[in-house]
Amino acid sequence: MEIQVMEDILGKNDQIAMENQVLFKKEGIFVLNLLGSPGSGKTSLLEKTMAALKDEIHMAVIEGDLFTSKDADRIAQYGVPVIQINTSGGCHLDALMVQKVLQKLDLVNLDLLIIENVGNLVCPAEFNIGEDSKAVVLSITEGDDKPLKYPLIFKESAIVVLNKVDLLPYTNFDMAAAQNDITSIHPQINVLEVSCQKETGLLAWYDWLRSKTAAKKALCTEGET
Amino acid sequence: MCKECGCSAQSSNTKIQFFVKGYKEDTVDEVERTLLGLPGVYHVHIHAHDGETTIDYNPAKTRLSEITAIFSEHGLDAVI
Repeated sequence: MEIQVMEDILGKNDQIAMENQVLFKKEGIFVLNLLGSPGSGKTSLLEKTMAALKDEIHMAVIEGDLFTSKDADRIAQYGVPVIQINTSGGCHLDALMVQKVLQKLDLVNLDLLIIENVGNLVCPAEFNIGEDSKAVVLSITEGDDKPLKYPLIFKESAIVVLNKVDLLPYTNFDMAAAQNDITSIHPQINVLEVSCQKETGLLAWYDWLRSKTAAKKALCTEGET
Repeated sequence: MCKECGCSAQSSNTKIQFFVKGYKEDTVDEVERTLLGLPGVYHVHIHAHDGETTIDYNPAKTRLSEITAIFSEHGLDAVI
């Protein structure tokens, strides 16, 4: 009789994610897990964010991609510390991958760490990497049917950035239906309409990041006293 | 959820089917939306004509009693 040995992959991941979380809490760093399909505009959103907030908030970025350092190269141009993780075909980042590169960052002097996950609407949502919040970027060109087709990522995310709204006139994307579906799946979620290309709607995104970063810092300062 | 690539083959989601009496045209959307808004509920499909209601959910995040409570709140009679 063959006995199949199953490993609790998610349980092991959650344990390491918790270790990451303890470290982030100790240093008062707000950690965002940035999710979305390939081409949704995650890196473009990060570029705008770096340009707008790098002189105000001490930030760093971890880039997750199957191959290449193309995204990290784009972020590095803004003078923000960036680390590239190549998963070599893996469809998501896990907590161990993140833990292994944390020593390369100056965590003591960091307020905000954004981890851009591998472009994928399914698997990355399942793996906690120690983040405080998940954010999902959905572009107009992907279609308004995606929230109901991929509910987990919207259920798990604290905020959804609907990107490329400048292309609305050229698509059949139904904004009202999409927003209704998203808030049905996750009634408390924040929904932002932005265009990274035209630089519209981004102020609300920056404010959300500012408030979350400040709240995390305050929480950790309270813990010290 | 992701069983195709095997990275999370031990999905903790489960599918449950109810037969619900008392659906009215105007309550179906509301019940569907309310169920979908529960933390561990990922998909809800209601056949209003015969009351067949299928729900994909994670029992670790939402208790069955929370689901049945939604039916009760809308005056519906649900059996598994």
